[in-house]
Amino acid sequence: MKIALAQIAPVLGDVRKNLEAHLQIIDKAVKEKADLVVFPELSLTGYRLRDLVETVALDPEKAREIKELKARSRDAAVVFGFVEEKQSEKGLFYNAAAFCAKGRILHIHRKVFLPTFGLFEELRFFAQGRNIQSFATPWGKMGILICRDFLHLNAGYLLFAGGAETMIVISAAPGRGFSEGKGFASSRMWELMGEAMGRFAQMSVLYVNRVGFEDGIAFAGGSFVYSPMGKLLAKAAYFERELLILEIDLDDVRRARKNWPFKRDDKPEVTLEILQRIIHEYRD
Amino acid sequence: MSIEINGPFAVKILTTFIKEELAKFGFTRGILGLSGGLDSTVCATLAARALGPKNVIGLIMPYGQSYPRDVEDAKMAARRLKIKAPVIDIAPMVDAYFMKYPTDSRVLRGNKMARERMSILYDHSVRENALILGTSNKTELLIGYGTIHGDMACAINPLGDLYKTQIRQLAAYLKVPKAILAKRPTAGLWPGQTDEGEIGLTYADVDKILYALVDERTSAKEAIARGFKKKQVKKIMAMIKASEFKRQLPPIAKISARSIGHDFLYPYDWDK
Repeated sequence: MKIALAQIAPVLGDVRKNLEAHLQIIDKAVKEKADLVVFPELSLTGYRLRDLVETVALDPEKAREIKELKARSRDAAVVFGFVEEKQSEKGLFYNAAAFCAKGRILHIHRKVFLPTFGLFEELRFFAQGRNIQSFATPWGKMGILICRDFLHLNAGYLLFAGGAETMIVISAAPGRGFSEGKGFASSRMWELMGEAMGRFAQMSVLYVNRVGFEDGIAFAGGSFVYSPMGKLLAKAAYFERELLILEIDLDDVRRARKNWPFKRDDKPEVTLEILQRIIHEYRD
Repeated sequence: MSIEINGPFAVKILTTFIKEELAKFGFTRGILGLSGGLDSTVCATLAARALGPKNVIGLIMPYGQSYPRDVEDAKMAARRLKIKAPVIDIAPMVDAYFMKYPTDSRVLRGNKMARERMSILYDHSVRENALILGTSNKTELLIGYGTIHGDMACAINPLGDLYKTQIRQLAAYLKVPKAILAKRPTAGLWPGQTDEGEIGLTYADVDKILYALVDERTSAKEAIARGFKKKQVKKIMAMIKASEFKRQLPPIAKISARSIGHDFLYPYDWDK
């Protein structure tokens, strides 16, 4: 399977301009025969929206912008980030990601873990998603996480337990702190989780982070792909716009899970039982 | 984490910041006050790299003949960077004011000069169609060592997240002339004045304490337990608190249903 990671810098609050950029990149990726193009978190809107959230929200069933992206998904599947507000859930704005293929939306993930501390204020402006679900695609089961979701151990585990073989993470992660290498110190954290999820959840991990500045905050880039053996397959530059295209072998999941049967030996019912006990103790 | 910076990385981030921020606001040119000191020389160097020397203007704004060496250093730095650096003497404007409202206070005179320079910078910003680049560093901003609406005023600030010690590291990496690198930092408020003399601590000491308190989020107690002098930590904490007003927009009395700064919340980069 050929995948394209679009490490872009969306224009804050301008859905029209961002859509055009998406379509151009999809064209480019299709020319390179990519099967799947992945854009970063809130790729249609930019990240630091604050009170602009309501003005850029889209209904996935009605919005013209999403219709265009759905139509383009006949040539290559597309994952993009947007603000979701459904007709049936007026006034609830979700930080969401859609997976489109063959002209249809196969899945929408709403960000569950909304960072609200320090420089993050997502809970102030967004509603919380309540589901982390694996879904069927023409390339096997996949799952989507949005940025901070990925840093919560249980999110990755739920996709693993749900049978996903590919984990798609879209991100708008700011860079923080000097390192000795070429990137921000904070980039290491994402790479560490990528490697760990690849190796222990035995999935292909596709991480797409954005670049550019918003209100003085630099987004770190450094998108990457880890194999189901935890091997780094490709990495985009830190802090630069880039379209990273590479081939991944979907049979790697089988190889990994045959050698180390973590999936076979997993016991979700034991996990659930213990969780119930823990939750019960909370109530006391 | 450490106070050591990675030179090439800092330059990449800061030059990209300058270029992208200006582009968002529809500018290709930047303007800044050039004092002949370290911060403004570093800022001008970054701007020249980001925008090209032709797109950077460094205004040299001395008060009469008070600091001839600084003016020479500023001119020398501008020549090396190949940026335009006109000299505007602020003495006539400042003297006119103090003739009418005399004072012996060096602080009042210094503040007035800083605001005179700000006023000229904003005027030239429009004349030259160039955005103002700030040169206040993280140390000054945190301890409040700057004149509000004076040298602290700018459109974007590339240096505001680097301590003075880090600016010095960056300057060495950028090969800023030795004459400027070796100078003792001064706000130029009066002849012989130095920042460190006035603050009562060296920048090296201040920055280590600030790094612990701010970047590493230690409490004053923890910082003292680490071996920093109690008196110094207390003094710095007091300076940070006393200058918070310089780092924020003034509070607006909330009376309506939706108020600027309280619940009317838009990004700085709105529609940019």
